[in-house]
Amino acid sequence: MFEWTEEQVAVRAAVRRFVEAEVVPRVDDLEHGDLPPYDVIRAMYSSFGMDQLARERFERTLAERRASEARKAGAPAGAPLGAATAGAAPSAVRSGSARAEEPELGEPGAPAVAGADRSARRGDAGSAAMTLIPIIELCRHCPGIVTAMGVSVGLAARTIMRRGTADQMERWGRDLVTFEKIGAWAITEPGSGSDALGGMQASARPVDGGYVLNGSKTFITNGPYADTVVFYAKLDDGTGTPRRSRPVLSFVLDRGMTGFEQSAPMRKMGLHSSPTGELFLSDVHVGPDRLLGAEHEASGSDGRQSAKENFVAERAGLAAMSLGVIEQCLALSIDYAKNRMLWGKPIADFQLVQLKLAKMEVARLNVENLVFRHLEMEAAGRPMSLAEASALKLYSAQAASEVAMEAVQLMGGNGYMAEYRVEQLARDAKVFQIYAGTDEIQVTHIARELLGR
Amino acid sequence: MNVVVCVKQIPDPAAPGALDPQSHTLVREGKLILDDSDAYGVEMGLQLAGDAGEVTLVSMAPNQEVSGVRTALAMGAAKAIVVSDPALKGSDALSTAKVLAKAIERVGADLILAATESTDGYTGTTPVQVAELLGLPSVTFAKKVTVSDGKVRVERQTEAGFDEVECPMPCLVTVTAGVVEPRYPSFKGIMAAKSKPVDQLTVADLGLDASSVGAAGARQEITSVAAAEARGGGDIVVDEGDAHERIVQFLEQLKLV
Ligand SMILES: Cc1cc2nc3c(=O)[nH]c(=O)nc-3n(C[C@H](O)[C@H](O)[C@H](O)COP(=O)(O)OP(=O)(O)OC[C@H]3O[C@@H](n4cnc5c(N)ncnc54)[C@H](O)[C@@H]3O)c2cc1C
Repeated sequence: MFEWTEEQVAVRAAVRRFVEAEVVPRVDDLEHGDLPPYDVIRAMYSSFGMDQLARERFERTLAERRASEARKAGAPAGAPLGAATAGAAPSAVRSGSARAEEPELGEPGAPAVAGADRSARRGDAGSAAMTLIPIIELCRHCPGIVTAMGVSVGLAARTIMRRGTADQMERWGRDLVTFEKIGAWAITEPGSGSDALGGMQASARPVDGGYVLNGSKTFITNGPYADTVVFYAKLDDGTGTPRRSRPVLSFVLDRGMTGFEQSAPMRKMGLHSSPTGELFLSDVHVGPDRLLGAEHEASGSDGRQSAKENFVAERAGLAAMSLGVIEQCLALSIDYAKNRMLWGKPIADFQLVQLKLAKMEVARLNVENLVFRHLEMEAAGRPMSLAEASALKLYSAQAASEVAMEAVQLMGGNGYMAEYRVEQLARDAKVFQIYAGTDEIQVTHIARELLGR
Repeated sequence: MNVVVCVKQIPDPAAPGALDPQSHTLVREGKLILDDSDAYGVEMGLQLAGDAGEVTLVSMAPNQEVSGVRTALAMGAAKAIVVSDPALKGSDALSTAKVLAKAIERVGADLILAATESTDGYTGTTPVQVAELLGLPSVTFAKKVTVSDGKVRVERQTEAGFDEVECPMPCLVTVTAGVVEPRYPSFKGIMAAKSKPVDQLTVADLGLDASSVGAAGARQEITSVAAAEARGGGDIVVDEGDAHERIVQFLEQLKLV
């Protein structure tokens, strides 16, 4: 694949038209925090029938899950199945003791493939492209929207759809996949980011009828507005297991639960269209019905494996985000270079300016090729390895950041002014090197595979 | 109800256009897109056709071009007829109307919709000529269209306001931009558009004589083109306490106040 198919070009044209009509006029309001991004996302979902597609896919996945539960329980499909019983210590993501000192989750704030689930990703480049194209188009103007959307659909909803029981899927998943409700996915804590699983302090203490949750999370995308939060905490069963090696459990929380507080949006460098907040839990009582992953209790390796699957999709999503930023910065830079006159000629005539444009084009080609490679591999049913996805993310994030900064430089004082838009993209792109695993964590993931460790 | 919508595929207005030095007409090689002003007709057609009926697109275009038609199919039209023929090069509005009318005859429509004028040509005469050739009544400049009891009711834009017009069907109606809000094609629609039937026809297929269309049959000729006059700079009024008076003076000059 070296170019988009005719059909994909049609999708891109339609989405671009939507973005120009519905998003561009609102970017200032979104960026200044006067307008949360959710209604724009919902408008996009309904304009393109993405909600309908998600609903249909949801019903198929739900039916499969019900059938498999019925088979396991030896009961007829549709029979209500209780979730795990308290204290059974089902582990969603085990912080393997062998790796306890290593960076575990590079972990995200990340895009992830909106609306993708297992059935959609099975050897189907078509649907993967349908997910990536809106990401690219939105990121030309407003990467924050993509982050807000990606975390809700790609992380919160997907985790529930993958690890939840059929009942949990119905209760929380349905409204999340269609974006009727807003989801957050909370793993990072003030004391642990790159080392999210090992260093986690949030705790889940088994009690009669469920668990008591305590702890706080930070940098949580959609935290301030989320209706549904997937919350990670370490099992504190009083057996004296060292904290680092305790199993990590994941729970689903609802807005407004007693003892659960969601902060106002935090101020940050960029990505203002994506609200980021803190979560505080003090003695939040949850029943076993809110515990995710009971089903996977038996297979200890499942948590790590599925976390990796999540990483791959998320990192591919980041390449698409980067491509959007790069395409837009390049287009704006070319336009500016041709029109800005100095010494009686356009600055495009200066070779140092040409060098900037040429380097941007190299970055655009490389990142586009990485996106195409991801799509081809999906189509071939051979998803990227973690190291490969990390390499893709590392390169794309750095390229987006550099290109956007060079676009600012190329435009001089204008580039530094908000009106010319590239300064926002530069501030936004910086976070690509931080969330979904910092650059440094990507390096460790690449090196680990290269060195066979 | 079955609705035919006439759609024109035009060069992307965002790309710099070029004129053929001989014919003085727009160069239409390469990829064409659905004329924006036709998106309103397509949307209106989809709304009026309802679940029981369907929308058929009719388009005359060079080189079997379908890109623009696919956009309308993606919005929900059921099928399309595209007429392409080297003999059609140099067609004027009437030639185009002959071709469209012949194509529409093959469908059997209760209602034919078209834009009031195309974005690249602005002739604005083709639709009524189509109606005339088909022997059907036509209503132009619709800003609202409803259908009941085999009749269309149209609010017809005038300079002063609008006329309420009633017309028996079948008939042809031209719709103004903004009459309805054109939908975005859904992703599903875009994927489905690829497999919707597009009937590619030639002048001979339509039973038309090649000498009656195209440059050969044209009764209209563009003899010359001139560049539009460059817009002059505006007057800048610097307020020295009397700006309001000078603005009033300016407006009086233009007989606006
Ligand atoms: C806008 C935004 C949105 C976010 N959204 C979410 C969200 O929705 N949910 C969520 O759970 N989290 C979210 N995060 C958190 C994000 O995933 C973390 O910020 C990220 O994982 C880095 O963790 P940290 O900030 O604690 O940095 P640290 O882990 O403290 O890292 C500090 C520095 O040390 C470096 N470093 C760390 N380990 C190593 C190592 N082994 N070798 C070399 N260098 C190393 C890092 O690369 C970095 O440069 C978000 C963050 C941001 C900025």
